[in-house]
Amino acid sequence: MDQLVLFVSLGFTVGAVYAVIGSSLVAIHSATGVLNFAQGSVALWGVWVAAELGTTGTLVLPVGELQLTDGPATIPVTVALGVISSTVLALLLHLLVLRPLRAAPALSQVAASVGVMLLVASLVPLRFDVTTTVARPILADSSVTILGAEVAVANLVMLGLAVGVALLLAGYLRFTRWGTATRASAEDEVAVLLTGYSPDRLAAVVWLVTGAATGLIAVVGSPSIGLDPLAYTFYVLPGLAAALVARLRSVLVACAAGLAIGSFQSVLLLLSTYDFWPVWAQAGFGDTVPFLVVVVALFVNGKSLPERGGVVSGRMPAVHPPTMRALPALLTLAGVLAAILLTEGSWRFGVVTSVIMALIALSLVVLTGYLGQISLAAMAFAGTGGFLLSRVTTEWGIPFPLSLLVPALGATVLGVVVGIPALRIRGAHLAVVTLAGALAIQNFVFGNPALTPYEGNLIADPTLGGLDLGVREGTNLTTIRFAFMVVVVVGALTWLTARLLSGRTGRAFLAVRSNERAAAAAGINVAATKLLGFGISAFLAGVGGCLIGYSRGQLSVESFSILVGLALLCTVYVAGITSLTGALLAGLLAPLGVAETFLESSLGLGEYYNLIAALALVVTAVLNPVGITGSVRAAITHARSRRQQHVLAA
Amino acid sequence: MSSQPEPVLRTRGLTVRYGGVTANDAVDLEVHRGQVVGLIGPNGAGKTTYVDAVTGFARSTGEVWLAGRRIDRLPAHRRRRAGLARTWQAGELFDDLSVAENLAVVAQGGGLRGLAADVFRRRADRSPRDPVLDDLELTDEAARRPDALSLGRQKLVGVARALAGESHVLLLDEPAAGLDTHESLAFGEEVRRMAGRGSGVLLIDHDMNLVLGTCDLIYVLDFGQVIACGTPDEVRHDPAVVAAYLGAEVAP
Repeated sequence: MDQLVLFVSLGFTVGAVYAVIGSSLVAIHSATGVLNFAQGSVALWGVWVAAELGTTGTLVLPVGELQLTDGPATIPVTVALGVISSTVLALLLHLLVLRPLRAAPALSQVAASVGVMLLVASLVPLRFDVTTTVARPILADSSVTILGAEVAVANLVMLGLAVGVALLLAGYLRFTRWGTATRASAEDEVAVLLTGYSPDRLAAVVWLVTGAATGLIAVVGSPSIGLDPLAYTFYVLPGLAAALVARLRSVLVACAAGLAIGSFQSVLLLLSTYDFWPVWAQAGFGDTVPFLVVVVALFVNGKSLPERGGVVSGRMPAVHPPTMRALPALLTLAGVLAAILLTEGSWRFGVVTSVIMALIALSLVVLTGYLGQISLAAMAFAGTGGFLLSRVTTEWGIPFPLSLLVPALGATVLGVVVGIPALRIRGAHLAVVTLAGALAIQNFVFGNPALTPYEGNLIADPTLGGLDLGVREGTNLTTIRFAFMVVVVVGALTWLTARLLSGRTGRAFLAVRSNERAAAAAGINVAATKLLGFGISAFLAGVGGCLIGYSRGQLSVESFSILVGLALLCTVYVAGITSLTGALLAGLLAPLGVAETFLESSLGLGEYYNLIAALALVVTAVLNPVGITGSVRAAITHARSRRQQHVLAA
Repeated sequence: MSSQPEPVLRTRGLTVRYGGVTANDAVDLEVHRGQVVGLIGPNGAGKTTYVDAVTGFARSTGEVWLAGRRIDRLPAHRRRRAGLARTWQAGELFDDLSVAENLAVVAQGGGLRGLAADVFRRRADRSPRDPVLDDLELTDEAARRPDALSLGRQKLVGVARALAGESHVLLLDEPAAGLDTHESLAFGEEVRRMAGRGSGVLLIDHDMNLVLGTCDLIYVLDFGQVIACGTPDEVRHDPAVVAAYLGAEVAP
């Protein structure tokens, strides 16, 4: 019993962070209709600013820094500046990114806030010394005895802070005029505008308060939680889970749910020390909790979740189905083959990786661009393919072409399973499910020593009829045989996908993306079409994951981390998520592809890759949602129509 | 009475409840092949709810029979494939598809069969053209996106989409809203032609000239209940209908 009390109270610290993030997400959603995936990043930045001040007395800004004191700064200064940094970040997020996207489709909003998430996550290791900085204790190190357990006062203070923040937010929204107007603006923005309030300013107040609260709870909690360059970023997932349990309406319920998730994860930790607990569930099991909570909450509350009565809900960028002309395809193929033959070493490896990434990018074009289902799990499907490939080649001894097919089918099954929530869940909510699912798969499957050996997943080289298709040969980093094999596989699948997208399947996908009710009235089985889309997408990603596996020879959890997945989403969105050309271009820009090789080898700026990708995503989402290929197409159309006008005038 | 052929669409006791409100109260209605049947009534009488219930978009109790087959347990897309087509008041076109493709979606069928067809077909089926487009004089707009058309033309595309593919019965929900008098007259003739090809047509509209001039039989709905049923002449002079909906001045 005392053990249980102890672990429940231990969970309050991280639970309080979840709770405040969850409460903040509810408040922000009430004020703006946006699900902010970057709320954890707001916490992350404040935590690191405070820690750096507490260690060296330096105030770090995104660009530049100020030496405030010679030694470590005092505790009040570190906390205050940490909170202010979080607050400023939250306000900038509102003013520069999400306010301009108020009337944009859900995809743009998700892409933009995911971009900010990746931006902050890639900025932290660049701006802070993540090896020597420590978070100094802020709260007193004493304890009280409750029900026979020694409970640290610090945990109770965190609990009190979280409840206090939730009460404050709930009180503001319920009992003040501004708060009432804020809630009203969630119902009808125009009506609130007509009564003389500015929805933007009301929203700014909420961003300010929630930014400060998130910064405060994270800074105060960081000495017990520990410093991590990434972890806080993904605290947004339990936060989102808590917000969804609260049906995006009640700040207080979100707070309670956040605390409960934190305590539950802590109790799971306790349980995993007992003998009866299975070995496979010892690591990463806690990360499945937010995913399960999200799925259950969305299924139970699905229909009753508020959809914003917004001004105008913008359209997804237009789609131009592939025209299946031979010349552009042959030219692209010739270009790729020339790039392979003319390069060597790390450059050729970059070219081959780009070709593989184009296939995974294509899986996103199919699912998100054509079918309109926002999925952040593409890399998890690829990872499933890769990890199955390891089993298939080293344990089952399945030979080469089949060794691609079997793991890809495995990924397809997983894709269809992940797609089931999409039958009831749409837009940003689906993005939450897929991100939570991807995190659960990453930490529970790929990162679980019971399922994945520490030494990495070895993969046997492919051979075909006695011909060695392995990636390495002596000192040659990438053999031409391997590169050609990749081109053949990716080329064939791209060609097949183009046939699908230009035919009945693509038309059915677009019909579902446009209007699900009308699609059903036109005789389309909407549920089956969505599952088909998830299946095709996961298949393509699964083959891509296998090819990545073959190109590395072994895989670890880092090969398919969520960050790589989000960076890939960035590049696909920037390149143009609604076209085949966009997928090919995204391959060039993708992580570890040609663009990153260029940054690394020619400019020595490889460490800035994620930062640049994230910045490009945010700018694209705000200013140019059709992506590079979309704007090039628009420019060509514009030039043509002007030329026609000239001809007519003459 | 046994000489009467079986109706192509028949509902028996069709009831829809939204919370405490009974939007359709045991509606019995029949449409025969070749017949244009009108469904009229004041706003909020439950006309669109009836179409939603018949086509599988509103949860209902009671029976729906289509060409001798009971379909009230089928999901919406299977009712369409069984031959029950509808239009929508708000158009609900596929804005991401061209007008021609809006129609092509209906005839094709998707799923794994569509997938196989895409993989094994000889060549791309670019811009499939449905003869319905010519009938409704939409040929010039075939390659355009629906949101580039006027509201009236969009409605017409909605009708064309319902006509595409095989169907036994067409449910037209205010198809003439947005058409001018001349277009409305031409549209009435088009509706008669649809019925002439052997379909049953259920027409909902507030344009009384269109409804009274086109329909063989008219049902009048008020507060979810059928308050009258008869030929245009009978309905026009029915005192209950005049009181509930038509008003005195429309009945010369």
